Amino acid sequence: MEKKIKVPKKPLPSLLTVLGYPFAIFFSIYSFLQIGFNLEDFKRNLENRRIVTDPLFNPKWEWAIENASQALLETIQIAILASILGCFIALPLSFYASRATNQTTVSYYIYKSFLNFIRTIPDLFWAMLFTVAVGIGPFAGVLALIMFSMAIMGKLLSETIDSIDLGPLEAAKASGAKHNQAVFSSALPQILPNFTAYFLYIFELCIRASVILGLVGAGGVGRIIETQRIFLRFDRITPIIVLILIAVIAIEQFSVWLRRKIL
Amino acid sequence: MKIPKQPFNQKILRYIITFLIVIGSIWSASGLEITPERFLTAPSKVWILISAMFPLDLSEEAFSRIVPKVGESLFIAWAGTVIGAIFSFPVSFLAANNVALNMVSRVTKQILNIIRAFPELILAFVFLPITGLGPLTGTLAVGIHSIGTLGKLSSEVIEGIDEGPLESIKSSGGSKLSELLFGVVPQVMPTITSYWLYRFEINLRASAVLGVVGAGGVGAELINQLRFRDFPRAGTVLVVTILMVLIVDTISAAIRRRIIKGREIKV
Repeated sequence: MEKKIKVPKKPLPSLLTVLGYPFAIFFSIYSFLQIGFNLEDFKRNLENRRIVTDPLFNPKWEWAIENASQALLETIQIAILASILGCFIALPLSFYASRATNQTTVSYYIYKSFLNFIRTIPDLFWAMLFTVAVGIGPFAGVLALIMFSMAIMGKLLSETIDSIDLGPLEAAKASGAKHNQAVFSSALPQILPNFTAYFLYIFELCIRASVILGLVGAGGVGRIIETQRIFLRFDRITPIIVLILIAVIAIEQFSVWLRRKIL
Repeated sequence: MKIPKQPFNQKILRYIITFLIVIGSIWSASGLEITPERFLTAPSKVWILISAMFPLDLSEEAFSRIVPKVGESLFIAWAGTVIGAIFSFPVSFLAANNVALNMVSRVTKQILNIIRAFPELILAFVFLPITGLGPLTGTLAVGIHSIGTLGKLSSEVIEGIDEGPLESIKSSGGSKLSELLFGVVPQVMPTITSYWLYRFEINLRASAVLGVVGAGGVGAELINQLRFRDFPRAGTVLVVTILMVLIVDTISAAIRRRIIKGREIKV
């Protein structure tokens, strides 16, 4: 005997899905048309590839090590200094930008939108602005990366503070602590492990970002890449890029190891 | 009152970290010849630059130059994300160690790591002589970098799935393909789509920057105006870019939240 099973009805697709998918597809096609993808040109251009690909496999190692190692060190120093300063500036700011530790609605919104605002400007834009303001050199790069790391740390950390356990905070207040004292003694210890993890993550991002700062004159190894690029000396650029990759991967491995050690 | 002491090795770890941070910043600052005075004088110098930007250049000619460039950045970011999404999706299955063979997964992960290690800008100027000055170069750079990052994130999502549905498909006679299609894909799709959108937000910033090397987008406009000391127009470029990024971020964040949380269905 046949038994009918009641299958629940599938809910109708929402308006977002009905409009969203066609829009996404349409926008993708439109974007590809706008960027001027043309198979004919692409094929013709591929014949030029020898300018790049031939020197890529003929790297000038001695030249790169001689000229780029100092700049590479500068890059790493920029990243270290900027990530440390940026993260420690962001630490108090994110307490103000979190609902859990800042009861004043107005100042909460001011800090929150300030952090959102600096996050919208890309790292290299900061670098360009600071090179104009304080002059060409690594100092502009440090300032740019401070803004960059401050923005990311502010966002990550304030969201972490939003979700802390409010119990200890209340207990501290019940035993007579002022708001600032309560935050310092019971909210800060809760987020310190996260802070350390985010700091290491941001340090990695800063290392990657500081490589390209030199393109706009903000110090570091990018400066050497930029000058060699203008002369199309890809035989010199290749070993520099390989050196950067080795440095980046080594630092990343170190930071992963340290993170595992701490947490 | 007896307060329990902090364990000894934790204390040592804390001192080591503090020491590393202090030494690291002093070593870097002295290597870069940065003194505290430079930090103290920096705000006033930045203020001079900002006040030079106002009033902004709001002429029609400025907008007719800037808005298409900002749009170009948007198209580069979107097209790059599409390239990244299309290629990273199958690759992420190869990289997930619970779906692919162990060897395959390990090799694929290493390839993704290598792709990820190249910043977009470096990719962009390797492509420049091949694909020429223009948005195509930027799109390729953004797209290839996205394959690396999206592939890694997506494969981690696939590794975190619930194996139950896979087992039930297997026990009812499903093939490996239907396991993937009906067991894995429905589970991972919401998270992966939200990662695509998240990557789009990041790519938008990256594509804004790419113009610096001539790979299309609004970056070229900003660096040119700053070089010619046309600060009001540089200010306009900045403001338009910030507005565009803010709007796109807000929309994308709202869609992501909707995808992850799902629609509220009234019962």
